[in-house]
Amino acid sequence: MAEPVQSVNDAAAGRRVVITGLGAVSPVGIGADVFASAVRAGASGTAPIESFDASGFPRRKAGEVLDFEPTDHLKRLDPGQWGRSGLLAAAAARLAVADAGIDEGRLETAQAGAIMGTTSGESAVVQALAEQWVAGGLESLDGELAGQTPASRIANAVSAELRLTGETQTIPTACSASNYALGYAYDLVRSGEADVMLAGGADAVNRLTHAGFYALGAMAEDVPRPFAADRSGIVTGEGGAVLVLETYDSARERGARIYAEILGYAANCDAAHMVHPDAASIAACIRAAHEAAGVDPSQIDYICAHGTGTPTNDSTEVAAAREVFGDRIPPISSIKSMLGHTMGAASGFGAIACCKALEQDFLPPTANVTEPDPELGEGVDCVPGTGRAARLDIVQNHGFAFGGNNVITILGRVS
Amino acid sequence: MTTATAAPAAATTATVEPLYVTGAGVVSSAGHGLAPLAEALRSKSAVSYGDPVGESYGDPVGDDADAYPPRPVRAVQGFRVQDHLGRKGTKYLDRLTSFGLVACKEVLEGLEGTEREGGRTGVVLATNTGSVSTHSTLLYDTLTLEKPYLVNPGRFPNTVMNSTSGQIAIRNGLRGLNATVAGGQTASLLAFRHARLALSLGRAERLLVGGAEELSAPAAWAWHRTGVLREGAALGEGAAVFTVQKEAPAGGVLAEILACEVRFTPDPRQYADGLADAVSRALDRSGVRPEEVDDVSLGAVHHRGLERIEERGVRAALGGGLPRAVRVADVLGETYSASGAMQLAALLGLWEAEEAVGPRTALVTSVGRDGNAAALVVRRPR
Repeated sequence: MAEPVQSVNDAAAGRRVVITGLGAVSPVGIGADVFASAVRAGASGTAPIESFDASGFPRRKAGEVLDFEPTDHLKRLDPGQWGRSGLLAAAAARLAVADAGIDEGRLETAQAGAIMGTTSGESAVVQALAEQWVAGGLESLDGELAGQTPASRIANAVSAELRLTGETQTIPTACSASNYALGYAYDLVRSGEADVMLAGGADAVNRLTHAGFYALGAMAEDVPRPFAADRSGIVTGEGGAVLVLETYDSARERGARIYAEILGYAANCDAAHMVHPDAASIAACIRAAHEAAGVDPSQIDYICAHGTGTPTNDSTEVAAAREVFGDRIPPISSIKSMLGHTMGAASGFGAIACCKALEQDFLPPTANVTEPDPELGEGVDCVPGTGRAARLDIVQNHGFAFGGNNVITILGRVS
Repeated sequence: MTTATAAPAAATTATVEPLYVTGAGVVSSAGHGLAPLAEALRSKSAVSYGDPVGESYGDPVGDDADAYPPRPVRAVQGFRVQDHLGRKGTKYLDRLTSFGLVACKEVLEGLEGTEREGGRTGVVLATNTGSVSTHSTLLYDTLTLEKPYLVNPGRFPNTVMNSTSGQIAIRNGLRGLNATVAGGQTASLLAFRHARLALSLGRAERLLVGGAEELSAPAAWAWHRTGVLREGAALGEGAAVFTVQKEAPAGGVLAEILACEVRFTPDPRQYADGLADAVSRALDRSGVRPEEVDDVSLGAVHHRGLERIEERGVRAALGGGLPRAVRVADVLGETYSASGAMQLAALLGLWEAEEAVGPRTALVTSVGRDGNAAALVVRRPR
């Protein structure tokens, strides 16, 4: 058993922080409502890869946003000057702001900012540069393109598109990065450092991530089947996921729809292995998140799992949940079964799914699965197949990453 | 409660509590620790702009040393990670992570027994690209191998940008908050801001805060081709990491970290105003008057356009004058993600070397190409 991580009682101090806008640019659709309907139906977002030549690979599918046309969404950014990850983030931010019904002048007076997570940064840009290197040597690199490589440009794209003047920070803590961004943005609003923040994450499908996960033996043979006995791994995915955070008071004052209140979060580090998750450390993170949110395990109605679909990760995640919840594990599902693993955007999509589940009264499903792996033990309800009607009050969103970075956010209904 | 009609500056302007810097670990082309950096700054033994290039500093190192562009570099010479960490577990470490690990080893060695307890200590590290050498080598492999999926699985995890902070946690048993922060030129200062919020809210008791950068031929060519640095400006590398805590320590304090304020400015014509705003707010929230600033450690040194914008912004916030300016990039070259941390290291090193009497107060500033601006106020007690 791991020692307790630093715990903070988020419920006791600071301003209440709520989520009032959602923006999804995802492999199962663009826009939060389209996304929610697709998720509830157990839709598939994975298809043969189009963004790079995958013919040399044994696995050739990914969760790409095939219908993403930046100019459909962006008013200010020149798509030629920004990488795909930044464009996905900026488009999702535009959608989130529209969904929140918040006016751009209000964003400016509130000194709103953007905190964006990512795993691979501007990977499509770096990939294009590597192709130039192979074709013409390093001296042939395009200087304009080289200037587009920093991961910082993901949050910068959001702030440049929306003319934000507040804190603009990219958090590349790999596959828990969106949850990290949400947590940090929540701290900024809660503490009074900011009044409105945009938080989420973005990543693009790319050749190196595809190759790397295959080399690690973590890639699914066909589709991802998290929690199923025959699960064989991930399918890489991409997208942009952005949420609008503001104080409860400001949301009430402007009559905004409130999807959820962020009750608290916790972040810790396994400090054990770069790639393999650690059940005791994840359990410690869950406990710290509950303590921060001021909730008991019995109050959690749903877990939006990290749920990568690799044999080890899913059993570790369930073991960690069992350590905290005992034999009463709440329904636990993986939307990666539909989107693929969208990397730095994954827990942002998880948070959006949680918000929509609270709003529309359903449990998001684990698609491609008919029953959970009996090896996971008794009482694992992974909501197989399609979504299920359910009234939820408090939900828990998981994000785990290479480097042992665990972040868990707790969201609750505001009644 | 702010309303839509209220003036900007809706967010808090409350005065901050100081954070305490109790240790510094520096790996740079000047050597290990603060003292050699201060010595280099005072003697300008290695001026990284223009010719002639100092003999001991001018050569790239590593397998790709012959492939660099025609531009001076300030490589960390003779660096072997095994000399510092032993051989165990170093096989797949890239240069970036090696710098970070060695810098952290130096600060952690300075901590007392109970302070080293891993569950209460975390990491906030700045990087904008992760290890370009690892990433680009694996990309090259997957583009050129007959079987493009045969990339090295032992090295693949090093391609994620939080690899260095993860490795720091693993090697030192640090189970607390573990954040990686990108912000272009301002990345290291954003790391301090991130750490300040986390410490003030009790998310960690102690954080190792700083930045790391590595040189490689692909990264050097990328810089060279962007044309953002003045001709003849050197590229640099290294890591600087500081132990930062909220509780006043029983022992010595290297410095107090006061406010760190940031600002994004979408319009390039207003970059100087954006920085001036960040500086003014940082001073205000630190309870420091402009005339009390003794030193300013500048970040956009050798950057076309931005260099003047930074000076203009700082002058505007300070009422026209410029206090003593420290330009660490003159010595280390452009250290990008690590630049803010190196700027702070330069100040602390100089203060130690000068045996300054009485308190000193300084600004660390940074401005980046997309409109990021940041200002950190730091004070030497006594």
